[in-house]
Amino acid sequence: MSRGTLVYATQRLVLITFTAIVVSSIVFIGVHQLPGNALASERRLNPATEAALLHHYNLDLPWPQQYVLWLKGLAHGDLGESLVNMGQPITPLLLRELGVSVTLGIGAVLVTVVVGMSLGVLAAIRQNTWVDYVASTAAVIGYSVPSFVWAFLLILLTVTGFYAWSQGQIYEDIGWGKIEQIPVPAFALGLPYAAIVARLTRASMLEVIRQDYVRTAWAKGLSARVVILRHALRNALIPVATILGPLITGIITGSVVIEFLFGIPGLGKEFVTSILSRDYNIVIGVFTFYAALVGLANLIVDLLYPILDPRIRYGN
Amino acid sequence: MTRSSKIRSFAAVFVTAAIAAACGPSSAPSEALAADQTFRFGQTDDITTLDPAHVDSAADIVYVDEIFTGLYRFSNDLKILPSGATELPTISPDGKTWTFKLRKDMVFSNGDKITSADWVWSWTRTLRLNDAYASNLEVITGATDVEAGTATKLAGLSAPDAYTLVAKLDAPAGYWLTQLAMPTASMVLDQKVITAAGDDKWNLSAATLIGSGPFKMTQRTPKASMDFEPVKSWWGGDTGKLTKIHVDIGIDNASMVKKFESGGYEIVGEANNQVGPDDVLRYKADPVKNKLLTIYNGARTSGIGFNMVTGPFAQKPGATPGDVTVGGTDPGLDGRRAFSMAIDRVQLADIACAHAISCQPAFGGPITKGFKGYLGDTGDPYAKFDAAAALALYKKWDPTGSKVKGLEYRYNTAPANTKRAQNFQAQWKQNLGVDVKLVPSDFPTLQKDRKKKIVIIGRESWGIDYDHPQDWFDNLFTCAQAKIGRGNDEAYCNPAMDAITTAANAKPINDPTTVAEYVKAGTFLVNDVVWATTDYGTQPTITQSYFKGYGYNGLYDYHWESFRILQH
Amino acid sequence: MAIVVPTIVERPEEPFVIGADELPEQVTLWQDAWRRLKRNRVSVIGLVIIGVFVLVAIVSFFWTPYPIWRQALGPTYQGPTLIHPLGLDDYGRDILSRVMGGAGIALSVGVGASVIASLIGIVLGLTAGFYRGKIDTAISLLINISYGVPDLLLALILVVLVGRGIQNIILAISITAWLGMARLVRGQTLSLREREFVEAARSIGTKNLQILARHILPNALGPIIVQATYLVPAAIIFEAFLSFLGLGVPPPAPSWGAMASEGYKALQIAPHIVLMPCIALSLTVLAFNWVGDGLRDAIDPRMRK
Repeated sequence: MSRGTLVYATQRLVLITFTAIVVSSIVFIGVHQLPGNALASERRLNPATEAALLHHYNLDLPWPQQYVLWLKGLAHGDLGESLVNMGQPITPLLLRELGVSVTLGIGAVLVTVVVGMSLGVLAAIRQNTWVDYVASTAAVIGYSVPSFVWAFLLILLTVTGFYAWSQGQIYEDIGWGKIEQIPVPAFALGLPYAAIVARLTRASMLEVIRQDYVRTAWAKGLSARVVILRHALRNALIPVATILGPLITGIITGSVVIEFLFGIPGLGKEFVTSILSRDYNIVIGVFTFYAALVGLANLIVDLLYPILDPRIRYGN
Repeated sequence: MTRSSKIRSFAAVFVTAAIAAACGPSSAPSEALAADQTFRFGQTDDITTLDPAHVDSAADIVYVDEIFTGLYRFSNDLKILPSGATELPTISPDGKTWTFKLRKDMVFSNGDKITSADWVWSWTRTLRLNDAYASNLEVITGATDVEAGTATKLAGLSAPDAYTLVAKLDAPAGYWLTQLAMPTASMVLDQKVITAAGDDKWNLSAATLIGSGPFKMTQRTPKASMDFEPVKSWWGGDTGKLTKIHVDIGIDNASMVKKFESGGYEIVGEANNQVGPDDVLRYKADPVKNKLLTIYNGARTSGIGFNMVTGPFAQKPGATPGDVTVGGTDPGLDGRRAFSMAIDRVQLADIACAHAISCQPAFGGPITKGFKGYLGDTGDPYAKFDAAAALALYKKWDPTGSKVKGLEYRYNTAPANTKRAQNFQAQWKQNLGVDVKLVPSDFPTLQKDRKKKIVIIGRESWGIDYDHPQDWFDNLFTCAQAKIGRGNDEAYCNPAMDAITTAANAKPINDPTTVAEYVKAGTFLVNDVVWATTDYGTQPTITQSYFKGYGYNGLYDYHWESFRILQH
Repeated sequence: MAIVVPTIVERPEEPFVIGADELPEQVTLWQDAWRRLKRNRVSVIGLVIIGVFVLVAIVSFFWTPYPIWRQALGPTYQGPTLIHPLGLDDYGRDILSRVMGGAGIALSVGVGASVIASLIGIVLGLTAGFYRGKIDTAISLLINISYGVPDLLLALILVVLVGRGIQNIILAISITAWLGMARLVRGQTLSLREREFVEAARSIGTKNLQILARHILPNALGPIIVQATYLVPAAIIFEAFLSFLGLGVPPPAPSWGAMASEGYKALQIAPHIVLMPCIALSLTVLAFNWVGDGLRDAIDPRMRK
C-alpha cells in the first residue's frame, strides 16, 4: 500500500467515525425529545424502586447530560443497556447479530457478483441472440420485482415445494445456525442486485468488444478471443466496483425483510423489533453500527479501486 | 415369605405401579422412541422475564413452570398435587392458619438444599417486588405492608422448624390453595444465587437461572434461542423422555408453520404461539394435515378495553387510578356502549378466527363460556349486534365527531389480533362512520402501556389461571388493581362491585350461592362496558404425528415430562 | 438513492451539452430524442402501462367498484368471480378495488417523492457546482455523510418519530433520495460552467441566477429527467418495503406492499391474494424502468446519427 493510499484510508476512517457519531447523535437527540420514557417496567409500584430504575438508566438527568454520558460510554464501546430486557447489555447483542448479518451479506454479495457477472458476460458474448434477449429481459425483471416477492417465491419453492417433491430430502431449513441455511436467503437478497450487475457487465463488456481493433482480433480465433475476454472482463469490473458501495447499502436495507421472512436473528430484524418495542437504546445502537458498517464497506470498495483500475491512485 | 405377606407385597407393587401410572409420565410399552429426543419449537417474541416474582405472560409461564417449583402443582388435568409440600395443608377451623409440611429431599439444580427459610425469603421477595402475581400471596397477614415497603419482614409467615411453614391469613380464603398451585409468584428461589448475581440480572443467563424444577436452562442467546435439559436425579421423580428442548426466538408465525412442515419443529402452538387463522384453514381443508390439527378449548377471552380515567370513554375523567370515591356521571358510557354494539361478533369470528374455528363470538361477558361466572349466552346486553341502535347512540354521544378525533386502537401483532383489529376498524367505519387508527406493537410494549393506564382503547385478553371467578375480579377489575402498574388496565373502580366480590371470595366455591354473587358482580362489568368482550378463544395447535404426550387443558400446556418423540 | 437505481447516467463528466452555437438546433434535439424513444418498443410498452396505471389511479380517487375498506363482502379467500374479478382477500374485501387504490398510493408516493427529491437535489447540486468553494465543500460533506446512512433505516426512524401517513412517507423517502440527483447535477454543473457560452454570457454581464436558469439547467435537463424517471420506481419499491414491514401507509390503505404482506400468510390456500398486488407492483416498476432506459438511450448524444 502506497503512502498516498494510507493517508487516504486514514482520512476516510476519520470521516467514518465522525459520520457514525453524528448519525447516532442525531438519533439519540431525536429519540430523547419524545414525550414520556420508554422504561422497561412500570410494574414496580414502590416509588423508591421506580426512582432507582430511572437512575439506573440515567433517565432522571437532563438529556444533554445523558448525551455526554452516552458519548463516554461509546468511547469504551459500551452502548448501554436494553430498555425492554433489563440487564441485557447492548454491545454484545449487536455484535453477535452483526456477525449474522455480515455472513448473510457476504453471501448476497457473492451471489450478486458471481451470478450477475456470469449472466452479463453470457449476454455480451451472445449479443443480439435469443440468449442475450432472454438474459437482458430477465435482468430488468430481476431488479423490478421487489426482493420480498423473490423471497416469497423462493420460500414457496425451497421450503414446501422441494420438500414435497423430494419426499423430505431437499428443503430449506428456516432459521440460522447451519451453513446450508445461508444460500437461499443470500440468493433472495442478492437477486435484484445481480440483475443490475448483469446489465452493467453486459454494457461495459460490449463497449470493449465493439471496438474495431477488437473485432479484427476476434476474427483471428480462439486464443485471441480468450485474451480479449479477459481484458474485457477486467474492464467490466470497474463499473461493478463503482456500484458496489450503493449495492452494499442496498443489501443492508434488503436484509431487514429477508431476515424477517427466513427467521434469521440478524441486525436488520433487531432494528425493526426494537423500533416496534420502543427500545430506543437498541435503536440508537443499531444505527451506530450501521453507519460504521456502511462507511467501512464503502472504504473497502474504494480501496479496491486501484487494484482494478491502475489509473486511479490516491493522494497526490 | 408367608402367604399373607406375599399378597401384601404383591398388592404393594400393584398399588405403587398404579400410583406411578397415575402420577408420573408414562408411555405405552410398545412405543418405539426416536434416538433423538430433542423437542424443538419456535416463538415470536422473546421472553419478558423468567423471574417468578415478575413473570406475567402465559408464554413465559410455560418455562417458569418447568424450571421452578412451588408448594403445589397442577397436574395435566388440573388436579392440585403436592410438590414442595408433602401433603395438602392443615387448615385451622377458623380458616386463618395454614400449616405446610415441606419435603426434606428438595434441592436446587445446583445442589443447594431447600429449607423453610428459603420459602420465607422467596415469598417475602415476591411481595417486596410487588409485581404481577404478588397478589397470590396477599392473603397473608402483613403482605400489603411488605408490598408498600413499610415492612421488610412478612409478619404472617413463620418457620417453626426447617421443614414446616405456617401462614396466618387476614381472612379465610378458599381459593388460596389454587393460587399456590399456580406456576408463578409463590415458587422457591435460591437466595445465595440471587444475592450474588444481582436481583435484576440473575434470571438473564442460564448459569444463574437456578430453580428446583424438573428442567434447567442450559443456553440462552437473547432474541435468538434457548435450550433446556432435564435435571439429573430430580428429587420430584421422573423427568420424562426428552433429553433437550430447543426454542427458536423471533420466528414469525407463518415461517414457524413452514418450518414445522419441513420437519424442523415438533409443534406449533406450545407456549401460546397459536397457529394463525390462515394456516388453520389450510390444515382443516387438507385430509392429511387435518389429522395433525387439534383445536383445544382455550380458557381465554378477548375484548376491547376502554380507559376509565383518561380519554373520551372515561367513566371518571381525570380521576386518579384506584381512587375509591364513588359517584359522578359517566360521560363515556354511551360511547362505550355504541362502540360495543357496532361490532358484529359473528362476522369478527368468521374473519379473524378462520370461520370461527379458533375462536367463538362472545355474548356472555368477560368470563369465558364454560367456566364459573359466565353470564349466560345472552348475558351481555351490549354484545348483541345492532348497527342502527349503535349509530343512534353514538350520534347522541358525539354529534360533532370531536370525541373520536385521532382515536387509536392499540394491540399486539399476533396474526389473529391483526385480523381482529382490522375488522374492528372496518366495522366502526361502516356502522358508526368513525375512523379509528390502528397502532400495533409487540406484547411487552402493549402490556407496559396498559399498566401505565395510557391506552385509551385497546386489545384486552385474559387467560384464566384456575376455574374460579376470583381469578378474574381480583386480578383485573378491583379498585386495588386499578392503581398504576397493576393489572386493572382500564382503571375501573367500583367499590359496590368490590364489596360483593370480597364477600364471595371468603365463601367456599362449592357453596351454591357463591357463583350467583359473582354473576351479580359481573353484571356491573357488562352494563358499564368495561370491556367490550368480543370472543372466547380456542387454542389451535399442530403436532407431528410422531410427537406424543402434548396436551392443553385450557389453562396450561401439559408438562414437558409427558412428551416423547417416536421413531419416524 | 442507494437502492435499485439501475444505471445512473454513465459519464457524468461528459454532460449532455449544447453549446451556444448549437442553440438553434435545440428544438430538433428534443424532437429527435422523442422520435428515438418512440422507436424503442419496450419503452413504448412501458409508457402504455404507465398510462393505464395513471388512469386507474386517478379514477380510484373518485370511484372504486367497492369501498376499499369494506369487509365481509362475501366468503373470505374467495377466488375470482364475476362480481369480484380479482377475488376477495382474507377479510372479504374486493381485491380489484384495492389494487386500484394501491395504484393511487404507489403513483402518489413514487411521483411525489421523485419530484421533491429531484427539486432538493437540483437546487443543492446547482449551488454546489456553480459557486464552488466553501459552499461546495459543505454540500459535498453533507452528501458524503448522508451516503453513510442506509436510507431505509433513516426513513424508518423518521416514520416512527413523525408518524405514519402518506405525506410523511413521501417526505421520508425524499429526504434520502435526493443524494443521487445532487451528485449528478453537481457533476453536470461543474463541467457546464467551463463552457464557452457560459463565459460569453458572463462577459456580457448576465446575472448568475440567469446563467443557471437559462444556460446550465436546460443543458443538464436530459440526464435529470432520466434520473427522475428512475427515482419513481425506486420510491415505489421503497414504500412497498415499508408497508411490508408494517410501517408504511397505515391500514386500511391498500398499499401493494401491505397487501402482499397479508396475502403471503395465505399463500398456499389463496395465492390470488398475494399474486395480484405483486403483479401490479412489478409491472409498474418494470414499466418505469423501461421508460427510463429508453429515455437514457434517446438523449445519449453518442447514439445520435
